Amino acid sequence: MSLRLLNPNAEVLNTNAAVGMNINAATGLQDVLKSNLGPKGTIKMLVGGSGDIKLTKDGNTLLKEMQIQNPTAIMIARTAVAQDDISGDGTTSTVIFIGELMKQSGRYIDEGMHPRILVDGFDIAKRATLQFLEKFKTPVVMGDNPDKEILKMVARTTLRTKLYEAMADQLTDIIVNAVLCIRKPEEPIDLFMVEIMHMRHKFDVDTRLVEGLVLDHGSRHPDMKRRVENCHILTCNVSLEYEKSEVNAGFFYSNAEQREAMVIAERRQVDERVQKIIELKRKVCSGNDNNFVVINQKGIDPPSLDLLAREGIVALRRAKRRNMERLVLACGGEAVNSVDDLSPDCLGWAGLVYEHVLGEEKYTFVENVKNPHSCTILIKGPNDHTIAQIKDAVRDGLRAVKNTIEDEAVVMGAGAFEVAARHYLLNEVKKTVQGRAQLGVEAFANALLVVPKTLAENSGLDTQDVIIALTGEHDKGNVVGLNLHTGEPLDPEMEGIFDNYSVKRQLINSGPVIASQLLLVDEVIRAGRNMRKPT
Amino acid sequence: MREIVTIQVGDFANFIGSHFWNFQDELLGLAEEPHADQAYKNQSLDTDVLFRAGETQQGTLTYTPRLVSIGLQGSLGSLSSHGSIYNDVPSYDPSHVATWEGNVTKQVAQPHKKNLFLQSLYKEELHQPTPSTNEIKDEDLVKCLENDVQYWTDFSKVHYHPQSLYEVSGLFTGIQGFDNYGIGKDVFSKGPCGEEMNERLRFFVEECDHIQGIQFVVDDSGGFSSVAADFLENIADEYTNTPVMLYSARGPGTYMNPLSQKGSISRALHDAVSFSRLSPLCKLIVPIGLPSLSTSKVSSFLCIKDAKPFHCSAVYAAALHSITTPFRMGLPGPTVDSEYVTGSMDVSGIVSMLTGQGRQNMVTMLDVAIPAPPLTGVRSQLNFPESLYSLTPEIAVDVEDLEAIEFMTILGALHSGGKQASILEVKDSIVSTYENAVTRPRFCHLSASLCPLPVPLPFPSIFGNHVGQRGELLQNPIPGSKSRGSLDVHSIPIAARLRSSSAVLPFIEKRLGHLRKFGIERGAAGAQLLRSWGFENDEVGDMGETLSKMVMSLDPYSQVSSDSD
Ligand SMILES: Nc1ncnc2c1ncn2[C@@H]1O[C@H](COP(=O)(O)OP(=O)(O)O)[C@@H](O)[C@H]1O
Ligand SMILES: [Mg+2]
Repeated sequence: MSLRLLNPNAEVLNTNAAVGMNINAATGLQDVLKSNLGPKGTIKMLVGGSGDIKLTKDGNTLLKEMQIQNPTAIMIARTAVAQDDISGDGTTSTVIFIGELMKQSGRYIDEGMHPRILVDGFDIAKRATLQFLEKFKTPVVMGDNPDKEILKMVARTTLRTKLYEAMADQLTDIIVNAVLCIRKPEEPIDLFMVEIMHMRHKFDVDTRLVEGLVLDHGSRHPDMKRRVENCHILTCNVSLEYEKSEVNAGFFYSNAEQREAMVIAERRQVDERVQKIIELKRKVCSGNDNNFVVINQKGIDPPSLDLLAREGIVALRRAKRRNMERLVLACGGEAVNSVDDLSPDCLGWAGLVYEHVLGEEKYTFVENVKNPHSCTILIKGPNDHTIAQIKDAVRDGLRAVKNTIEDEAVVMGAGAFEVAARHYLLNEVKKTVQGRAQLGVEAFANALLVVPKTLAENSGLDTQDVIIALTGEHDKGNVVGLNLHTGEPLDPEMEGIFDNYSVKRQLINSGPVIASQLLLVDEVIRAGRNMRKPT
Repeated sequence: MREIVTIQVGDFANFIGSHFWNFQDELLGLAEEPHADQAYKNQSLDTDVLFRAGETQQGTLTYTPRLVSIGLQGSLGSLSSHGSIYNDVPSYDPSHVATWEGNVTKQVAQPHKKNLFLQSLYKEELHQPTPSTNEIKDEDLVKCLENDVQYWTDFSKVHYHPQSLYEVSGLFTGIQGFDNYGIGKDVFSKGPCGEEMNERLRFFVEECDHIQGIQFVVDDSGGFSSVAADFLENIADEYTNTPVMLYSARGPGTYMNPLSQKGSISRALHDAVSFSRLSPLCKLIVPIGLPSLSTSKVSSFLCIKDAKPFHCSAVYAAALHSITTPFRMGLPGPTVDSEYVTGSMDVSGIVSMLTGQGRQNMVTMLDVAIPAPPLTGVRSQLNFPESLYSLTPEIAVDVEDLEAIEFMTILGALHSGGKQASILEVKDSIVSTYENAVTRPRFCHLSASLCPLPVPLPFPSIFGNHVGQRGELLQNPIPGSKSRGSLDVHSIPIAARLRSSSAVLPFIEKRLGHLRKFGIERGAAGAQLLRSWGFENDEVGDMGETLSKMVMSLDPYSQVSSDSD
């Protein structure tokens, strides 16, 4: 999808031209992304040259689809994508913040100011803003029983920027419950323990939380049952297929009987492994109506499947590596790498295991488990691009909840932080700064306003009116965000609009760094030239 | 049944693959064609080895390659990454946005126009191919491909499964391009790409009852080398006992642009790093890709345009097809014959044959005779095995190596009059040539099939005017145009050979030499570059070790253990 930006081959000619080009590229990228921002933003449908469709509301996906060529734009895009990798959110904000820092700088540079001075100001402003963030943030106590309401508010805020309200709200509960399910006290949250599975389904757009695991494959034997209850689950990584041992070529030319004998010996080893599993099954299933399910990371060949099927065992092969871990967390037991030390203790438990078939696609649901620490979010959608977009939103939501738990803090959103931080910079910080670096602080402070301004613009509101209303209310000493429906100030805390602390922090950190690099581009080049001078 | 899963990584690998699958598709079609030659009907080749049977959600049955193809975003041309048969449920309007009630903007890229050939494929599918509605002439199709193939999908006639085509996006490589080992380094490990590729592969492996091996083709001219290396590392972890045969392929473009000094150091290091990283991650590595295929001996009967990947890739694909044929012969053992085939082998059989005996050399050359000369008769002043020439670059010729091991496959061999040779005749003739040869390899295995290489319509016009309709070599050139294509040549006999011999030494030594000179020696000009690719000194040292061990295994008296070259 080619939304090429500017001329990639342009050479840097002189200082001002170089900075000017960077400013152009940064604001160009800002223009492309800004309509994305917030719950009133625009979703973009990108149709590629072959008709492939991508649907995206977040800056991260959009940037990756753009095939950007311009080096400046690439630098900004990398920063934004890194923002997403590190904190899971805030890509659009990053790009528009950098764009705005550059735009504000442009005004001063046009008046003859040296970029170096602006950069000094940025640096001061950045540190001050980070300090201010510490004061401004809303601490939340997590402990053993995290405050579910606050988690929901954060999740809802981010989800509503990606999905329409009813859908976002349905997902909010799912996501919070998913993270709480996998969370273990005193350990970092491993979001991989939430499996995200999807199904293509005619008209349905739906998501649901499965307490347990959904695998994207089924058993490979016609006689195995499609639905079993009260199941012992054996999670293993044991080859149950005949593998020819490595032999030298001479072997192939040896006589048929010898070869046959080798094959039989190899086969017997595999059968013995299967037999050990069968023995365990008999031990735990005889005299009751329990079932036995084997989920194996390695292969299971047809003769082995036959043996297992005859015993009434359901077996799945080539499970994802990560599902070994998830299964154990969901069902209990342990993942075994060899059948030598099989014992009932290795087994997990699921009340229900059943298969769901859609054309050639099969899914296996492992449900009704006790006390699960792994779960699955199942997404249904009519086509791949819809599913992909929901998946992106789910990932964002999961990250937001995880961040909140780990940050033990949130930040009031809807532009509240930006308005407050600007006020702080202009009224408290600027006067403490010597000389013209003040102007850098000022530029930084005004650049922060790009967030509420863009939120307003995307809601069809008049940006100037909005800013006047917000700053006015703020000057009265209130924390105010923007009500996107009315354009009036609102109290984000009352409305439950919270952003992640770590996302904001990362944003304030990286934005000015990149902007400074782009502003100082001339010096970098000069240094290179100097070195090559024959002095 | 012993399945093979194919992986193609990078553009030229996909060009080769596109031809490769066209051959398979052609054979499938010919087997059912009532008027086709008998040889196609009794191929005795199990196509399920390479293909999978499936079903769409609407219940349409499908038969598609067991394939994971990886390319850069935008490299699929007019083909959707979901392939062409498993389309979205048609009752649902794809442009309806079901997840957002606010504003929607649509950005539609200039659609890639399907070329005449793809249009005709599409038409054929819509209504039964009745000759009367067939306004598009075959000549025009051939001409359109000859003139403007841009993407590998432009000449592919195969349907792909939606799990098969994977596009890498969001690289931000900008104008410098995706052209060295370092630039591909984070693709697999950072972000979702690696996991997604693994999942695609798992999809195909899970279906296999008893996978015999993985056939991996990588375009190792640039960033895809490191993507492939990471992918292979995961494969080795996950499918430890499944042998991987790796073809590291070079397109013609790599050798073309004249380079600055800095550029050529980067290229030399890339070649060295790529080879030394990839080879330990597979069981057998086969480097292919000549700097100038058109002027090489391989092209004695061909008219190749080096600048066209469409041309060059066809030759490599033909060789690959020949080599993989024995994997599909459903015979109980390598020494069992049938009327149609002989020399059945599986992947691990070939691997252990070529790498297991005596020297443990795993770098193998690929030779080909396209078309293969007649088994007997006028042209055989040259004996048959000597008519095969190497597709592996930078090797020595005329090397006598008593330790060499060879694995040769001959498809559809002809006698000098153009008569088909029987399996027995092929065997006898080859065995007697070897027996009469002055020097022979230590070990040689022969596989053969009666079924020749079919020339599908979208095959390029690369045959010279000495090549007849069934690929027989003519005494006198056919008057008229210099090059002949699928309309004139319908099939050819072909021979291909994997060869483990010390002739490959210069290839390895060159890489070792470059690594030392530009990467390891004190003040080496490329040391900084290697660091920027993420390699520490000791890793570079390890790579040097890997390479010198390879050299030592082929030439125990070599001087490579000394520190400079
Ligand atoms: N209900 C709301 N009202 C006003 N602003 C909101 C609301 N929900 C989210 N926001 C704001 O939207 C911004 C995030 O928008 P989003 O589209 O997710 O961009 P990003 O990619 O930068 O995270 C934040 O500044 C957040 O405070
Ligand atoms: Mg967001």
